[in-house]
Amino acid sequence: MIVYATILALLGTPSPVKTPGSYFGMPEQASTIAAGVDWMYDFITWLCIFFFVVIVGAMVIFMIKYRRRAHVADTGGPTHNTPLEITWTVIPLILVIAIFYIGLKGYVHITTPPANSYEIEVTGQRWFWTFRYPNGATETNILHVPVHRPVKLTMGSDDVIHAMFIPAFRVKQDVVPGRRTQLWFEATRVGEFDLKCAEYCGTQHSQMIGKVIVYDEDEFEVVIEELARWIDDVPDEKLHLAGALMYNQCSSCHTLDGSDLIGPSFKETHELFKAAGTRQLADGATVAVDDDYLQQSILKPLDQIAKGYPSSMPPGIGTQLGARKLQALVQFIIRLDEVAPDGNLIEVNRQDIVVEEAEAEEAE
Amino acid sequence: MTTIDVTKPMQPEAGRPAQGTNYLNHTTGIMSWLLTMDHKRIGVMYLVSILTSFFLAGIFGLLVRTELIAPGRTIMDADAYNIMFTLHGAIMVFLVIIPSVPASLGNFVLPIMLGAKDVAFPRLNLFSYYLWVTGAIFAVAAIIFGGVDTGWTLYVPYSTTGTEMNGIIFLSMAVFVLGFSSIFTGLNFIVTIHRLRPPGMTWFKMPLFLWAIYATGIIQVMATPVIGITVLLLIVERAFGIGIFDASLGGDPVLFQHFFWFYSHPAVYIMILPGMGIISELISVHSHKHIFGYRFIAFSSVAIALFGFIVWGHHMFVSSQSPLMNVLFSAITFSVSIPSAVKIFNWLATLYKGSISLNTPMLYALSFIFLFTIGGLTGLHLGTLATDIHLHDTYFVVAHFHYVMMGGAIIALIGGIHHWWPKITGRMYSEFWGRIACGLVFVGFNIAFFTQFVMGAKGMPRRYWDYTDQYRIYHVVSTVGSYIMAIGFFITAAYLIHSLFRGRKAPANPWGGRSLEWQCSSPPPAENFPEPPHVGDCYDYSVLEWDEQEQGYHWRRDIPHPVGEA
Repeated sequence: MIVYATILALLGTPSPVKTPGSYFGMPEQASTIAAGVDWMYDFITWLCIFFFVVIVGAMVIFMIKYRRRAHVADTGGPTHNTPLEITWTVIPLILVIAIFYIGLKGYVHITTPPANSYEIEVTGQRWFWTFRYPNGATETNILHVPVHRPVKLTMGSDDVIHAMFIPAFRVKQDVVPGRRTQLWFEATRVGEFDLKCAEYCGTQHSQMIGKVIVYDEDEFEVVIEELARWIDDVPDEKLHLAGALMYNQCSSCHTLDGSDLIGPSFKETHELFKAAGTRQLADGATVAVDDDYLQQSILKPLDQIAKGYPSSMPPGIGTQLGARKLQALVQFIIRLDEVAPDGNLIEVNRQDIVVEEAEAEEAE
Repeated sequence: MTTIDVTKPMQPEAGRPAQGTNYLNHTTGIMSWLLTMDHKRIGVMYLVSILTSFFLAGIFGLLVRTELIAPGRTIMDADAYNIMFTLHGAIMVFLVIIPSVPASLGNFVLPIMLGAKDVAFPRLNLFSYYLWVTGAIFAVAAIIFGGVDTGWTLYVPYSTTGTEMNGIIFLSMAVFVLGFSSIFTGLNFIVTIHRLRPPGMTWFKMPLFLWAIYATGIIQVMATPVIGITVLLLIVERAFGIGIFDASLGGDPVLFQHFFWFYSHPAVYIMILPGMGIISELISVHSHKHIFGYRFIAFSSVAIALFGFIVWGHHMFVSSQSPLMNVLFSAITFSVSIPSAVKIFNWLATLYKGSISLNTPMLYALSFIFLFTIGGLTGLHLGTLATDIHLHDTYFVVAHFHYVMMGGAIIALIGGIHHWWPKITGRMYSEFWGRIACGLVFVGFNIAFFTQFVMGAKGMPRRYWDYTDQYRIYHVVSTVGSYIMAIGFFITAAYLIHSLFRGRKAPANPWGGRSLEWQCSSPPPAENFPEPPHVGDCYDYSVLEWDEQEQGYHWRRDIPHPVGEA
């Protein structure tokens, strides 16, 4: 890391080179690094074209000029020329060192997120992306970001390796189970851009695609606020369905079918609740599995560790939910037999469970 | 283990075959082939087996391209598609390209080029072949029992916990066994080149093909054990849940990638180096001109083999490997491009002022220069850190490695087959159809794969069963190209098989080659040479002259023949 920091310090931050776009098929540019990457891509491509023309041009000329006209067994000619050979070894060497250097400069910039970056948590799962914002808002497959502000994605995977790829931003990073990886960008214009999984992850790999939506700073705040607030528009009797929408935050540790992962299965907890049963805790105490227990376990997971399970649930998960989302998750566990009969989650759409304000007024 | 002592001349009566007998007909019956220890017959068996696998994997590739001709489901669902591209890649890499040139053409030509009777360990050679067959059986078992959908790269945790398909264990076994086949072949050739060179053939008098095979052998012996251990660990993790790579079991998935590419990058040079060796022979022989810069070409083979061991991390620029490692791997990666460039320039200098026969083998050699130049140059985009981040895991990479693996290794193999076909079979094929087919393969290949560079730059990820409409036109063009290429290969198969029955009898030296394999009859006698031949400069063609009657070249009467007969 020290060596890398030194390299970084030596290079400084390059100013992005302004180009009108790539000559050789790169997609639209929508981030601060895109123009620089495209400039490099075009530069290398021009160099390739030059060498291709020289090599294949010479080959074609020789093919025609020296084509066989008689059955000569041997044509003589020089068999080696050391100065010439050293020349065509050294010139490419100098060129590739140059390419390496400019590629390095760009790379250091691409991999170093600015300190003031807006942070978004990303989870890759088969076969969707979940984005979590600092205000607790979550969204699936759509990444909302502000324009002209560095955004840092901190990413993890719940199953196999995925890769976050946003072509218009020229960024890509594998999302690896057991590791936290990061990626940053700064969008340069408002609009919608493709987001794809680039590391093969199975059946629906090619469907693990989404959108990045870039907003003005003001509009972004409104969108994120709305995202955090939608839960308020869900009527009480549908809260368990809202909980189902949030389950992907729990699924890496808690199953729905009774099998054990890292924490107790929600099915077991659900059955204990129904039977008004009790649960053994790691410290030897026994606790009644009721509404209060469910809430407390999400809010302060480390206070009441179920016997036989590690104390590994991050306390932050519960506290950033807010009261209503917390209630939604509790309802989800209580009414699990409705939302996940036989251990499989039923399909729920947010639009179907949210009551529009107009509708709500009408109902009153 | 049987070794052949070439320094002792054989009895002339025993060594000289009766008129008309050769390695193909001196013994008969199926067992005389299945249990043969003759390197030539083993080479032919390898050739037939490898070409059969090539046909199969080619069909899988065409199915992949056909599925992709339109978005959504065209002829198969996503799971079937995932199996198809996995099989296409795995069979092409492990059963076709890695063994292709050394095991088939290398086996046939190498001992003859050395003037030896056989390789150093003939039994081990036959054993390698049967290991290959065993590996192929495991690969077939993987298809029948459960299927595999991991991609040829077998990345964890997808391959251990992410897929229900149980063929993965069989495929891992196949890779393990095939690895040993490859190691034994490499070892055999290294020892053969060290021990069985005829008197007078110093290292720098060897044909360049042998330098390439020697450098390849070093990689085979040193790198292949790593993939063997890696797939064993994979099997242990999948079958018994022992945590090595799986994060949920305390392992690290990126560790698998390091192990995998520590073999699989050098394996790229196992694939391409023998191809480059063939091209060095073809360019010189068919230009009727001494190879230019012999030592630079020979040393560049060794340099590629050595550099090849320390660049594996360039497959992992976005894997979450540390940025410092990425920087170092990028730097070393560029260094490996130099020896390849040196070879290209030397081949061009060989063509200069030559007398270039544009026959089928030479057309393949020239296609190689064209295609490998594109494949090599586009490697610069991928070795450069800033641009690789965008291009990684897109069709740009798919196009790049097809230009190198297929445009390089396979085109060289096909060129080599055409070059040595008269020697192997004793028959000439149709030159007319050879050129037509080569043209179709060349044109089809470029249509199929050049479009993929564009598609990849535009952000089309690889291994996608479905895609958005913006990529449609490129997929359609690419698929059409693959069909044109397929037609070329079917024509090739047709005229080569036809030549076996109807082809003109081949002269001993149809092209004017100087290395020793052209100084014995076509097909060669079972013992190759009655006594160790004399060795000279194997690229000095001035000792040959054209014989109109024979339609081939023979040794000039005023110069002593290396085998001691006129």
